[in-house]
Amino acid sequence: MELLNDLISPIVLGTLLGGLYVVVALGLSLVFGVLKVINVAHGTLVIFGSYVAYAVASAWGIDPILWLLIGIPLFFFLGVLIEKYLLARAVSKSADAALIIAFGIALIIQNAAQIFWSPQSRSLLTDYSFNSFQVGDIYIPLVYILNFFAALIVMLVVRQFLKKTYMGQAITAASQNKGTAELMGINSKQVYQIAFGIAMAMAAIAGVFYGLTFPFNPVSGNALLIIAFGVVILGGLGSMAGTFIGGIIFGLSQTLGGYFFGPTGQLLVPFLMVLVVLTIRPQGLFGR
Amino acid sequence: MEIKTHRFMPFILPAVVLVSLVVLPLFNVPQAWLLYMFYFFVFLTAANMWNLLAGYSGLLALCPAAFIGLGGYIMTILTWLEIPYYFGIVVGGLAAAIFAGIISISVFRMKGIYFAIGTMVVPAILRLLFLRWRPVGGDFQGGGAGYMIKGVSSISPQVSYWIGLAISLLSIILVYIILRSKFGLGLAAIRDNDVSAASSGVNVFKLKLFSFIIAAFGMGLAGAVFYTYQGYIEPNSAFDINWLMIVLLATVMGGIGIEWGPLLGTIIVVFLHFQLARYAGMSLLIQGFILVIIMLVAPQGLLGLFRDLRIKAGSWTRKKLPAQG
Repeated sequence: MELLNDLISPIVLGTLLGGLYVVVALGLSLVFGVLKVINVAHGTLVIFGSYVAYAVASAWGIDPILWLLIGIPLFFFLGVLIEKYLLARAVSKSADAALIIAFGIALIIQNAAQIFWSPQSRSLLTDYSFNSFQVGDIYIPLVYILNFFAALIVMLVVRQFLKKTYMGQAITAASQNKGTAELMGINSKQVYQIAFGIAMAMAAIAGVFYGLTFPFNPVSGNALLIIAFGVVILGGLGSMAGTFIGGIIFGLSQTLGGYFFGPTGQLLVPFLMVLVVLTIRPQGLFGR
Repeated sequence: MEIKTHRFMPFILPAVVLVSLVVLPLFNVPQAWLLYMFYFFVFLTAANMWNLLAGYSGLLALCPAAFIGLGGYIMTILTWLEIPYYFGIVVGGLAAAIFAGIISISVFRMKGIYFAIGTMVVPAILRLLFLRWRPVGGDFQGGGAGYMIKGVSSISPQVSYWIGLAISLLSIILVYIILRSKFGLGLAAIRDNDVSAASSGVNVFKLKLFSFIIAAFGMGLAGAVFYTYQGYIEPNSAFDINWLMIVLLATVMGGIGIEWGPLLGTIIVVFLHFQLARYAGMSLLIQGFILVIIMLVAPQGLLGLFRDLRIKAGSWTRKKLPAQG
C-alpha cells in the first residue's frame, strides 16, 4: 500500500509528461508520413524553438507562451523555406540524402546555438514556473498540466486540419500515395513544403513547453530526437492515436524508471522498451 | 613473361604508397604528422566499415558509436585485468562483433526506417548502461567518471601510428576481398533489388547479417585502437553521436557505395578536423555547412561527381568523333 501511494506521483507526472513528448513526436511523424524522410534535425529544431523563445523573453520580456502567437507562423515560414531550398532537391533523389542534409542542419543549429548562447544550460523561467497544485498527497507542477493541455489542443487542431481542409486532405493523400495524389491534381511540392512548415510550427510549440519543463542546452536535441523516435515507434508510424499512447507510455516508463532505478533509469527503461517493443512488433504497437 | 609483369602493374603504386607509409615514422617527421595520420587511419577504418553497411548492404545503421565505444571499453576493462592492450584491441573488435550478432536478433526484425531508428537507440542505451556499470576498479573509477587505460602510456606515437595503419589496411583489404567475392556479388544484387536477389537464390538475411558483424568487428577495432591513444575513456564521449557524424561525413563526402569514397572523404574530414580545431565552436558549424552543400551539389559524393563527369565527358567525345571521321 505504501508503494502504491509512492507510485501515484510518478504515474500522474509521467502521463502529463507524455503529453509533451506527443507534441515533439507529432512533427517527426508528420514529416516521415508525407516526405518519407527521417528528419534527424527534429530534436534540434525543437530546442531551437526553446532558444528563440528564451532570446525573445530575455530581450523584450515576452511570455514564452504568448510568443507562440508570432513564433508559430514564423517557424512555419522557416520550415517552408528549409524544405523548398534544402530538402526538396534531396528528397527527389533519395531518402538517405535528405537524412544526411537534416543531419547537417542539426549540426549547424547546434553549433550556432553554442556560439550565440554558450554551451550552458538555460531554462525558460516565468512567474508561474514554480506554481503547483496539490491534489491529495501529491504536488503537480503547473507546467506539466500546461504540457498536457497543449498536447491535446495540438492534436485536435492537427486532426481537424487533416480531416476538414483541402490542404489537410491533400497532405493525407500525398502521404498515402504520392503518384496517385499528383494524378488527382495535387501539387506535391507545395504539400511537402506545407507539411514541413507545420512540423516546424509544432517544433516551436514543443520547444516552448520543453523549455518551460526542463533545462536545455545546445545538444539537448539529440536526446530529444531519440525520445521522439521512441514515441513514434512505440505507437507506430502514421497513427496519431498510436503516437498519443506512445507518448504516454514513454512518459510513464521514464518517471517509473527513474523511481525504481534512479536518475540513469529515467531514459534507460524507455529506450530498452523501444527495442523490446520493436523486436516483438517491428511495425510498432499500433502500426499497420 | 610480359603478361606476368603486366599483371603486377596495378599493384606497384599501392605498394609504393604502402611502403612509404610504413617507413614514414622512422624518419624525423613532426609528431603532429603522426597524430594526423593516426586519426586518419582510425576514421578511415570506421568509414570503410560503414560504407560496407550503408553503401553496399543497404543497412543504414546509425550505431557506429555503439561498436566503437564498446571496442574501446572492452579493451580498457581488459587492461585493468592486467591483459596487454594489443590483446585487448583484438578482443574489443571481437566483442563488438558478438554484440552486433546479439542486437541483430532485435534490429534485423526491423525494416528500412525502423532499422535506422532502432540502431540509433543502441548507442544511447550503451551510454546509459556504462554510466551505471563499474565492472572493475573502485568507487571512484568507472560509471560517469570513466577509466584511465592502464599500460598504454608506454606506447610511442610511432607504434600507435603503425597499429592504426595496420587496422586501416585490414579494413581496405576486407572490403576489397568482399566486393570481389560471391559475397560481394550477392550484396550488389541486394543493393540493386533485394526482392529479385532473394528470388535468384541470394540469402539476403544471411549476407546482411555477415556484413553487419564484419563491420562491427572493424569498428570495434577502430574504437579500441583510438582509445589506446587517448588513454582515457568515459561513456558520454565513447558513445557520442559525433562518431556517427565522422563516419557519415567521410563516407558521404567521398562517395557512398564507392570503394575508394571513404579514403577521399576521410582525408577531407581529418584535414577539416585539425584545420578547424583552432576555431573551436565554429569547426562543427562549418562541417555542417559543408555536409549540406555537398549533398545539394553532389549527393553521390566527390568521387561520384568525378565519375559522372567522366561519363559525361566520354559521351561528349563519342558524339564528337563521328563528325570528325
